[in-house]
Amino acid sequence: MGTAPAQLFPEFIVDTLGLDSVIGEVAASLVAAFVVGNIILAFTGVAGPWAKRKITAAFTDRIAVDRIGPYGLLIIPAAAVQLLAKELIVPEGVDRPSWDIAPILLPASALLGFSVIPMGQIGPINLHLADPEVGFALVFAFASIASVSLVMAGYASSNKYSLLGGLRAVAQNLAYEIPLIVTAMSAVIFAGTLQMSGIVGAQTETLVTIGGVAIPSWYAFVNPFAFVLFLTANLAEIGRNPFDIPEAPTEIVGGYQTEYSTAYFVLFYLGEFVHIFLGGAILAVTFLGGASGPGPESIGFIWFVVKIWGFFLFTQWARAAIPRVRIDQLIEIGWKGMLVLSFANLVLTAVIVGVIA
Amino acid sequence: MSLERPDTTDDAAIERTPDELEALLGDLVVARDDHLNAPGFVIRPDTVQETLRTLKQQAGYDHLSVVSAQEYENRYESIYHLKKYDDPTQEVSVVVPADKDDPVSETAEPVFRTADWHEREAYDLIGVEYEGHPDLRRILLPETWQGHPLSMDYDKDRPQIATLPEHANPLEDHHRDEESDTMFLNIGPHHPATHGVLHLKTVLDGEQVIDVEPDIGYLHRSEEQMAQSGTYRHQIMPYPDRWDYISAGLLNEWAYARAAEDLADIEVPEYAQVIRTMGAEMCRIAAHMLALATFALDINGDFTATFMYAINDRERVQNLLEDLTGQRLMFNYFRLGGVVWDLPEDREAFFSNTRDFLDQLPESVEEYHNLITSNEIFQMRTIDTGILPPEVAKNYGATGPVARGSGVDYDLRRDDPYGYYDELDWDVATEDGCDNFSRLLVRMREVEESAKIIEQCVDLLEDWPEDERNIQANVPRTLRPDDDAEIYRAVEGAKGELGIYIRSDGTDEPARFKIRSPCFSNLQTLPEMANGEYIPDVIAALGSLDVVLGEVDR
Repeated sequence: MGTAPAQLFPEFIVDTLGLDSVIGEVAASLVAAFVVGNIILAFTGVAGPWAKRKITAAFTDRIAVDRIGPYGLLIIPAAAVQLLAKELIVPEGVDRPSWDIAPILLPASALLGFSVIPMGQIGPINLHLADPEVGFALVFAFASIASVSLVMAGYASSNKYSLLGGLRAVAQNLAYEIPLIVTAMSAVIFAGTLQMSGIVGAQTETLVTIGGVAIPSWYAFVNPFAFVLFLTANLAEIGRNPFDIPEAPTEIVGGYQTEYSTAYFVLFYLGEFVHIFLGGAILAVTFLGGASGPGPESIGFIWFVVKIWGFFLFTQWARAAIPRVRIDQLIEIGWKGMLVLSFANLVLTAVIVGVIA
Repeated sequence: MSLERPDTTDDAAIERTPDELEALLGDLVVARDDHLNAPGFVIRPDTVQETLRTLKQQAGYDHLSVVSAQEYENRYESIYHLKKYDDPTQEVSVVVPADKDDPVSETAEPVFRTADWHEREAYDLIGVEYEGHPDLRRILLPETWQGHPLSMDYDKDRPQIATLPEHANPLEDHHRDEESDTMFLNIGPHHPATHGVLHLKTVLDGEQVIDVEPDIGYLHRSEEQMAQSGTYRHQIMPYPDRWDYISAGLLNEWAYARAAEDLADIEVPEYAQVIRTMGAEMCRIAAHMLALATFALDINGDFTATFMYAINDRERVQNLLEDLTGQRLMFNYFRLGGVVWDLPEDREAFFSNTRDFLDQLPESVEEYHNLITSNEIFQMRTIDTGILPPEVAKNYGATGPVARGSGVDYDLRRDDPYGYYDELDWDVATEDGCDNFSRLLVRMREVEESAKIIEQCVDLLEDWPEDERNIQANVPRTLRPDDDAEIYRAVEGAKGELGIYIRSDGTDEPARFKIRSPCFSNLQTLPEMANGEYIPDVIAALGSLDVVLGEVDR
């Protein structure tokens, strides 16, 4: 174990402001959650209308938004106004209220996941909302609620393309969630705990020292095989190329989100982007040492941001370069390939840890 | 569907004189009605299948290019233009007159599968009825249309409100099969992957496609009628640009130019032929680049870099075409007997721009190979999907990259030479895979071959003596080809055999102008490729066919 984890964010607020009543703690928790939630939403706000365009443009030799504001950054409020000001079209025959709940559920499930993610320190503040003993299991549980939202949207839209998209989403998530979690379990075996801070803490030890540079024992270095497996399964989990088949615009128009417009459409996109960031956060915590990096611990949050944006960049790269697989091929890769490999990885890790430790 | 192979394959290669063919057909021939391009045999309307089968099996005429129909003062007439895939210069026309009051003639569909759509079109536009046709519905016009627009008594001025039949309701009985639990799905007319306005009526079992039926005609503009009301000399040439509008304009213009020049016996100066050849191949590169780009879009998804890279390359060749013709899409550059103007001043800059493009092209092609064709997921998606066996391709009259991707070695530039192609050194690209991947590979290799052709043309043009730069033959101001002369001529368009049938009536406007669109025939093969495959494969197959709906619907 590394250094003792710093005070959690809500406790920090309670201590700093001297709120020691129950109401004070609740208020502090809400404020903390509000801050963390807004940080993530701000990321998606930048990522969706601006960064994604800029990144795709860079990959495809284009310029993208550059007319409104410096580097085209004011496209963000412009897009927000544009998207929210449009008419919300409710198609005939949709199954309400599930049609309305689905777009709320998707970002909510992803945001919930961030409640247990240790996002590192910024100055004296440790951006970590809660650290339950089963935090690691909890984050996957939250993330998988997303599938419910997709099925709901697909089924309630009363549109065949949506239905196909919803069915694809379930098939894909079933095929990939199991390898994803089984692979992640190998990190748990290394760390010997399901607690997020424990898993991050276990990765701060020095693995080897090469030429005076200490390489930390991030599980990506300890077990690169599991890292690659996890990365691949994660792409399927968040539905990006080569596994973007629940949406697959050129095949099934927009999949589960075909019938959604304006605010609901924004919510879906928000949900997808928060999911990408959550995927990046899980990856960072499980394999890349969480918020650790060179420099003092108090700038850990910056490293964390770099890591999750790195993952975001990776997903966009995959989008620009990699073809999408067919649904039957995806199921085959998931059940026949990834599942077997992830169990092999788990058993191997267990044996190694058992023999060495 | 039957797939008769020629019984006596040896006979197929033999070139027969018209008289030998007449002897072969024996009593089936009622009279002779020779066309400028081929001998024509008039037969009785109830012997169509017998005649065509004899010609197909015993004389090797295995390619039904097109069925053109028209109405005369005293009769209706369908013409089956037959060719051989092995040697398209061997042509024969089977002329089938039908009764003026009761225009019924036997269908050719059991002999040539491609006749299905062609006869539907003839029924739709002219009004000839084909007995025994499996599905004689309108194909281009709405079901509720009144009258046949190209028939003689059609009132063009009468306004028509085309009430569409009720929206195909998936819950209606005929769309739902109680026992097998299938789902009816409309793909299109507005769908990201239909590359235009195409409607696929699809029946799904889960993700698998049980049946797909292309529904076309959304872009029908009666191009044939428009050409029939224009004068040969100037008024028709702008229209071909609007058939295959994906920058294949010069290739289309050449189709009309070739037919009309042969009809009116116009000799094109050599210099103009070289310019035409160069321009046409530039168009082919532009068209194939777009095909590649959109195919990548279908396989990779909306954010693929390949799309933009290919569009970028298309842009470069588009700039050259703009320099040459003054236009970017609707070129209107060819004239009967030549081209409208010489290469742009300054010539040296144009040549060096062209060479720059050609020099950079191999690098681009290499990049596409890195990005898509050598990608394992891409191969997984495209190899062995959308299978079109060569015999099926021939039966459907498939041409161009679609046929060549199925190993059918058929390219009119080589097999029925025109322009300057037979003087140049290039190869016909074929692949034997018969799948989506092969069709893409053929296009990519054709781009390289086109580059070779352009390079040789540039070499020729650079050294052309200044006083021999004749871009235009002497053509009378008003062209009036002989009365009742008929001709069918085709060129190798971007998508395949683009042919024009013209009958003249002694005036300065064609009496009948029929366009043989390669996309029309190619699209007809889609159900063969798609049935039993998954939805993504149907999309891939459609993308690999590279249809342009402007040319399908005309």
